[in-house]
Amino acid sequence: MSAPVAANGPDILDLVHESVISWDGAGRILSWNAASKALYGWDGGEALGDIARILLRTHHDRPLAEIEAELAETGAWEGELRRRTADGADRVVDVRWTIERDGDGGIARTIETGRDVTDRTAAEEALRLSEYRYRNLFEAMAVGFVEIDFTAVGAMLIPLRGQGVTDLGAWLRANRPFVRDTMAKAVILDVNEKAIQLFGARGKADMVGGSSACYWPEPSEPVYIDALVATMEKQPHLVCETRMKGLGGAEFDTLFTVSWSEESRRRGVVLLGFVDVSQRKQAEAALRRLQAEFAHAARVSMLGELVASIAHELNQPLAAIATSGEASLRWLAADEPQLGEVRALASQIVGDVRRAAAIIARIRSMAEARAPEQSAVSLNAIVEEVLAFLRHELQVQCVIVEHDLAGRLPLVLADRTQLQQVIVNLVINAIQAMAEAGSEAAVLRVTTFPTKDGRVGLAVEDMGPGLPADPQRLFDGFFSTKPGGMGMGLPICRTILEAHGGEIQAANRSEGPGARFAITLPATPSR
Amino acid sequence: MPAKNMVSIVEDDESLRLALAGLIRSVGHEARDFPSAEEYLALQDGRCACVISDLHMPGIDGIEMILKLREMGYSVPAILITARAGRAVEARAIAAGALCVLRKPFEAEALLDCLRRALADGASSH
Repeated sequence: MSAPVAANGPDILDLVHESVISWDGAGRILSWNAASKALYGWDGGEALGDIARILLRTHHDRPLAEIEAELAETGAWEGELRRRTADGADRVVDVRWTIERDGDGGIARTIETGRDVTDRTAAEEALRLSEYRYRNLFEAMAVGFVEIDFTAVGAMLIPLRGQGVTDLGAWLRANRPFVRDTMAKAVILDVNEKAIQLFGARGKADMVGGSSACYWPEPSEPVYIDALVATMEKQPHLVCETRMKGLGGAEFDTLFTVSWSEESRRRGVVLLGFVDVSQRKQAEAALRRLQAEFAHAARVSMLGELVASIAHELNQPLAAIATSGEASLRWLAADEPQLGEVRALASQIVGDVRRAAAIIARIRSMAEARAPEQSAVSLNAIVEEVLAFLRHELQVQCVIVEHDLAGRLPLVLADRTQLQQVIVNLVINAIQAMAEAGSEAAVLRVTTFPTKDGRVGLAVEDMGPGLPADPQRLFDGFFSTKPGGMGMGLPICRTILEAHGGEIQAANRSEGPGARFAITLPATPSR
Repeated sequence: MPAKNMVSIVEDDESLRLALAGLIRSVGHEARDFPSAEEYLALQDGRCACVISDLHMPGIDGIEMILKLREMGYSVPAILITARAGRAVEARAIAAGALCVLRKPFEAEALLDCLRRALADGASSH
């Protein structure tokens, strides 16, 4: 302990938590405090006089000559060293070197303060690795990723709370120009390959640095607003389906996700993910088209079965029109034309033509192939229409119809023609079942009712022979109890109902022989 | 101008019923119309010179109506109108005593022909 620093120093330096070592121009250790002993394992007696670099197996990332040149020039150097302790462990030490010069300007003494940063570097390494993995995922995933700088948007949104906006979502929905403004301020920081491909860009440069506004078509704004709200409310993530727009203007369906890690939130970075679901959507649309085509084919074949009834329905007004026309001609040809009679007959003709046109319109709507279209319809009204449509068939088959339609029934959201088809089908099945059984009293009961769980129900009951042992089979394709039956009617009924969120059940009537088919449909939400 | 006769129309379809009554009146006869065979059978006052009826109706149909009429002792000539082609049904109708069976839609002239024959028959049988 001969060095000046040590003269009244050991006590003081031993109180310092950092390792403090000094060596002379030749590298021989001149001083060594308690923290040095704790860090490197050597005590002062062992260390003093040794060459520091050798004793501690110091490894520099940069050549020592460069460090010494910097030290000679500026008088100080900071950096990380790797050293080995007395028991052979490797340590990373963050050091600061300062020098004392001799009379000639050479280095007389170097004083080092050092701090063990081995653990910190391990944490940094782990972070670097996780960043690397993240980058790898970011680039390689089949999900389009877009990193957005959210800070400017956050700065726009935060003051709103101070201005008394409590329901951010509602406020944003009412202030669309503001919303578009936030899109313009949401700058893209990075995108991956898949995002470039998805948004039809030629490369990163087309997207990075630009705003996100051009990728959001107007109808998708509500989803963007939801994402803003989720961000501000610090929800961990958001997933929903929406449509986005590519740079070429083409729109595509995508599963949209927004996520933030704690760390990205601090940096104001939001990660948006886009999964292309266009193909799935196309498959769903194709399935819907196919179902609609099947339903249509079934309607047309059903109309074929009813052609005699339909012809009769039309013949009736046609016969009336012809007869009224003949009568009119005779009144006009009389010696004193009777215009009053002719007027009465002409207005009857007009009425009959309307009636014939209504029959044709009903048939045409059943025969038409068109995409199903949902509207709020009254189940009771549809039952009335169906019974009018089948009036003649019911009459020919001597079927007595009892109907009990519940008043104040909620509307249902449905395609009118398809729902008519379901009920026509059930009624025809009932008529045929009773005709085949030669039922003495052919009574058909049609009822509508609200169900306990708030849905709307309809039941068609017949007095036929009842159902086969396993009623569920009736809903399988190509299963029929009728000679010559295709077995497609009930499966199509079920498909139509399921597409409407409804269901159908078959059972035998509780009182007396016969079948009971019951359907239920969700009621439209009352406003 | 032939004599005015009372012709009854029995038809469940209202507009055809009214049209038929209009046609009958246009050739100078009187017409009474009934929506069902039951109602026609209930009103037998001897004034009816001819009945024109639909064959197919709910309840009593045209053929049964003629049979009941004969049972009741009335020989009123009957003309039946049917929507369906069917030789068997036509033969049954003739056997029951119908003078003519017409298929819808029919020519007014054909109906009026039948009516003229019916009224001539009726006049000769009295």
